[in-house]
Amino acid sequence: MKGRTIIAASVLGALAVAGCGSSGGGGTNAGGAGGGTKACVASIGFEGPITGPVAVLGQEQLHFADLALAADNAANKTKISLDQGDTQLNPAQATTVTQQFTSNSKIVAVVGPAGSQEVEAVGPLFARAGIAFISGSATAAALTTGKYPTFFRVVSKDSVQGPQDANYIINNLHPKSLMIVDDQEAYSTGLVAAMLPIFQKAGIKVDHESVSQKVTDFSSLVAKVTPSTSVVVLPWQVAANAQQFGRNLAQQHKKAVIFGTDGLFSPGTFTIAGSYVSSFGPDITAIPADASIAAAAKAKYGSFGTFGPPVYAATHVIDEAIASVCKAGQTPSASNVLAAIKKTSEPSTILGQPISFDSHGDLVNGKFFLFKIDSSGKYNLIPG
Amino acid sequence: MSFFFQELVNGLTVGALYSLVALGFSMVYGVLKLLNFAHGDLYMVGAFTGYFVLQWFGGAQGLTIPVPLLLVIMFVLAALLTGGMGVAIERFAYRPLRNAPRIAPLITAIGISFFLENAALLLFGGQYRVYNTPDFIPFSAGIQIGSVNIDAVQIMVIVLGTVLMVGLRQLVVRTRLGKQMRAVAADREAAEMLGINVNLTIAATFFLGSALAGVAGVMAGLLFNQVTNYIGFLAGLKAFTAAVVGGIGSIPGAMLGGLLIGVAESFITGYVSSTYTNLLVFGLLIAVMLARPTGLLGRAQVQKV
Repeated sequence: MKGRTIIAASVLGALAVAGCGSSGGGGTNAGGAGGGTKACVASIGFEGPITGPVAVLGQEQLHFADLALAADNAANKTKISLDQGDTQLNPAQATTVTQQFTSNSKIVAVVGPAGSQEVEAVGPLFARAGIAFISGSATAAALTTGKYPTFFRVVSKDSVQGPQDANYIINNLHPKSLMIVDDQEAYSTGLVAAMLPIFQKAGIKVDHESVSQKVTDFSSLVAKVTPSTSVVVLPWQVAANAQQFGRNLAQQHKKAVIFGTDGLFSPGTFTIAGSYVSSFGPDITAIPADASIAAAAKAKYGSFGTFGPPVYAATHVIDEAIASVCKAGQTPSASNVLAAIKKTSEPSTILGQPISFDSHGDLVNGKFFLFKIDSSGKYNLIPG
Repeated sequence: MSFFFQELVNGLTVGALYSLVALGFSMVYGVLKLLNFAHGDLYMVGAFTGYFVLQWFGGAQGLTIPVPLLLVIMFVLAALLTGGMGVAIERFAYRPLRNAPRIAPLITAIGISFFLENAALLLFGGQYRVYNTPDFIPFSAGIQIGSVNIDAVQIMVIVLGTVLMVGLRQLVVRTRLGKQMRAVAADREAAEMLGINVNLTIAATFFLGSALAGVAGVMAGLLFNQVTNYIGFLAGLKAFTAAVVGGIGSIPGAMLGGLLIGVAESFITGYVSSTYTNLLVFGLLIAVMLARPTGLLGRAQVQKV
């Protein structure tokens, strides 16, 4: 009898503690909303290719999301946590992750996904759930035509990148004929569609080819590069494939220069000397104001490219939106965080340019950066 | 004309790889009537083995042993490891299901394929591992005939691939083991009644087929430079197609099917457009299958009633 009493008392005690914990948790949010003296608690999702063929990019994005979160939590006295979702740059996988996030009531906004084709897949799901999602690397122009009302991006779009790259090629590389190869993904075909009319209008003979992203042998394609073909444009996302394409060019003694778009920005992987690569993100190691972030990233995670910093910016936008909601005395939710993100106006950011969004979620006054690879494999920013 | 020969060399090189992987598919189907979908992933394991051997001996830019010795170690270790894995897969995943309905081992094979892919992801991560072959086998080691460039790795793949295929053919036709394999393929029960150790013969078949896939994986690493845990899927799919087109169960058929697909891909990319390569290659294959449902060198099975 005495034993039963002890057990009953223990259970009641445990229930009481659990009840206190529960009300305390709720009270934290409510308290944060009310007086602003208690912690501002929220969860945000992260969607990126943490594993898979482009894991190196996804890992970099995740590292920078973590860095931004730590810095913003410290600066704003918030308690925002990150839920990771691995999309493997695969729209189907991204859909699964998104379904998990949209069914999790704690998640108020999402960073990512990385690829345009993934945004196409998950846009309707986030729109239905009313959850804001900000990509740090999806650049397809079609994403911001208004069909995904909760989508934002902190990078410029392909309709800026395509013409900018095409005009650079025409005005600086002066090709008489060129080859452009898409990799059959939305990102790639979108860029080709933006560039082709500009090349044709300039009177350049264009050989448009298409290979699957899964193909790793380009010897047959490279055999078609004629002596008069001085530029091969690769709007691809797998840098290792571009590296192999460059090796196939060398193997067949072809002199054409590779011009890659932002998906190929991968120092250490794509290192063909003389190639050009554009990027939606700047080299933050060259921006004095970013020195501390760059040093922290390098110390903690090693070398990095341009995929991480925009995700830092995207995470920061969400963090600031959550903080502003809390400061306004509200509990962060998908709807009020979405409303706050729409009002974003960051005058200075890690990207070296202000961040604000137009009515379709596009970055206002976004631009791309161009790099040339030297013989040591280093990416050098081309001014202008 | 030089363009034609360049594309022919490119096609034969890739075709030799397809053929080597297709041989394993065909051999296993021959003895067990099983579509071993895990076969492509052994190709991936072979490619990783070659990569780690390369790193063990100093990496592409700091090799501590002569290149020929490195290549021998790469190929032998990859063959032994994948051959051993093939035997283990047969012993623990397929043998218990040998008398089960045919769908059971088929599903198991798909499961093994996913298991190997994800085990590699867990062990090696998702990053591309790069051989950097030109750093230790330079393009200058190849030959140039007019404007046709054939690098040393392409020559090695074509020559070694041919030697292995001819060697396997001789083994199957002329040796006691080959005779046992053919007997098991023809009628397993009858072979057992004649005193043939069926389990051992099937295990040997798995070893040989898997070892060839491992060797092909090393060749792919040397040729295409990059290795990830996903490379086995596409290679397996192409090899399976090659085996079916050549006549599944037929060793010369697998060789022919692989070379045919490799050369067709290369010529269509070169003379038509890479945009239509898969469309036209698989269209061609459908036409072949419609004309010869048993494949180019396959034989229709006569069932006496």
